[in-house]
Amino acid sequence: MRRDDPSIQWIEQPKLGFAARMYLPLFVQGLTTTAKHLVGPKVTVSFPEERPQPGNPLIYRGVHRLNRDEEGRVKCVACFLCATACPAHCIDIIGVESPWPDREKYPESFTIDELRCIYCGMCEEACPVDAIELTSLLDLTGRSREEMIFDKEKLLSVYDQTKDAEPMPSLKYGGTL
Amino acid sequence: MQETLQIIGIPLLKIAVLIGGLMTAAAYLVLLERKMAAWVQDRKGPNRVGMPLTNFKLGGLGQPLADGLKFLFKEEFTPRHVDVLLYTLAPIVTLTSALAVYAVIPIGDTLPLQLTANGGPLQLIAAPGCDVGLLYIFALSSIAVYGVILGGWASNSKYSFLGGLRTSAQMIAYELPLGLGILGVVIVSGSLDLGTIIRQQADTGVWNAFAQPLGMVVFVIAAFAEAARLPFDLPECEQELVGGYHTEYSGMRLITFLIAEFLHMVTAAMLISILFLGGWHFWGITGSGPIQDDQWAWVYSLLRVGVLMAKVMGVILFFMLVRWSWPRFRFDQLMALGWKVMLPHGMVNLALVAVLCEPVVMAAIGSGRPAVFIAISWGVALVTWMATAMVQPGDPENRPQTHVEPSI
Repeated sequence: MRRDDPSIQWIEQPKLGFAARMYLPLFVQGLTTTAKHLVGPKVTVSFPEERPQPGNPLIYRGVHRLNRDEEGRVKCVACFLCATACPAHCIDIIGVESPWPDREKYPESFTIDELRCIYCGMCEEACPVDAIELTSLLDLTGRSREEMIFDKEKLLSVYDQTKDAEPMPSLKYGGTL
Repeated sequence: MQETLQIIGIPLLKIAVLIGGLMTAAAYLVLLERKMAAWVQDRKGPNRVGMPLTNFKLGGLGQPLADGLKFLFKEEFTPRHVDVLLYTLAPIVTLTSALAVYAVIPIGDTLPLQLTANGGPLQLIAAPGCDVGLLYIFALSSIAVYGVILGGWASNSKYSFLGGLRTSAQMIAYELPLGLGILGVVIVSGSLDLGTIIRQQADTGVWNAFAQPLGMVVFVIAAFAEAARLPFDLPECEQELVGGYHTEYSGMRLITFLIAEFLHMVTAAMLISILFLGGWHFWGITGSGPIQDDQWAWVYSLLRVGVLMAKVMGVILFFMLVRWSWPRFRFDQLMALGWKVMLPHGMVNLALVAVLCEPVVMAAIGSGRPAVFIAISWGVALVTWMATAMVQPGDPENRPQTHVEPSI
């Protein structure tokens, strides 16, 4: 960047007023701000005893779940859109011919590597049948890498755990089944 | 035997209590600093470590102990490129001078304890009757700077070296306003002994903070710079210099530096309380003269210690709050503030106090009317402050120059 580049427009900085040059108003302003925060409410919690409350659990991006339809079957139709959208390549699907008449394919196996996942929510965005969703579960622990690779049953059980607290938002808007 | 006890035993006891108390205080002030930092940032702060081997958390009171143990067990790594002698000497010099300052700082008035047959009440100061107290403090705080410069030099690393250089420039720039701020107090009380200075304020009931507002402002700002606290912590600003002069240090040597740094802050708080906030004096609570030997002696003694400690604590809290209130100065701004603002303000204060303390002037305004003295001081302080603001450039000049004239 050249300083005399004609395409650069230099804007004059506003001059400091008398009050700013006295420094005292700024002094008081700084102290009041910190003093307010010193006694104000705290945003962190003592974790294992208290749980942090996500602002809106329905849009929080935590552990995944695989949704079920009314008959308790997995909603996924094995279209691979989520696996394609995934930037971390953590979704692995094996699709086979569906035993049910209302769809062509269903996932024989559906695994997500929760350690590779970056929780971006792209899979949820990509899914055409609202089968995969991210829940507000945030403390995910395991003792081995294998334990953190979630298979279809585990993902469906996450749905069973969270379906009451976090109903599928798509149902309200006439979502697909 | 009695004499030996009086000459050696009592001072040793005082030194042991002082050093033990100061080290503990420094450790817990670190915890307080972390807590304050957390609260200002809307966090909760360290609250996990409690009593060892039990489940009592006590709000994190075990944290300093754990921190100390951690530093004890850390590897004491000496980089191969350092000057080993100076590298080892630097933290020792810093901590020694930071601790030795407390020999002449009173932590109260007296205790009505008759430890020896012919001695008076116990003086709450390690070296009672030291007539050059302030001079001694100044000499030692200058030596503390040497420790920092030595550490920066001996580390043989550019970050440490820059930190050391900045320290030396900053300390020299701010010793002058520090001295000028104190001179006004010395002129009024006529002594360099901190005990006498407190007694003068207690006798008149007018703290120097009211009589010399300008001196107080100059001294407090210079004390911030001397203690290298934000917004003047250029010597170790993490964003530019990794850790400043202690970049290459680890283990016990590092914690020696850190404790010394904290003790500088405590010293500054002590001096501010004693020189400007009346020391152990508080109107209507502590009385003013020497403690009488009656049934209230203990109450007054402990009250005076309590009042002084409360004031010191208040100043320390102010120090910690300031840390999160303002951003760090740029180095040229630091120098400009020191030489162009603080030094003239200190001189105005010195001249004002010198004139007001002249017997002729005192006779004219009436020595029994301190209100006139205070009013004049505040008026002059206000006028000086506004005059300084007027001559400040309204333009911060912190942008690249578009038209640079070639210098000849």
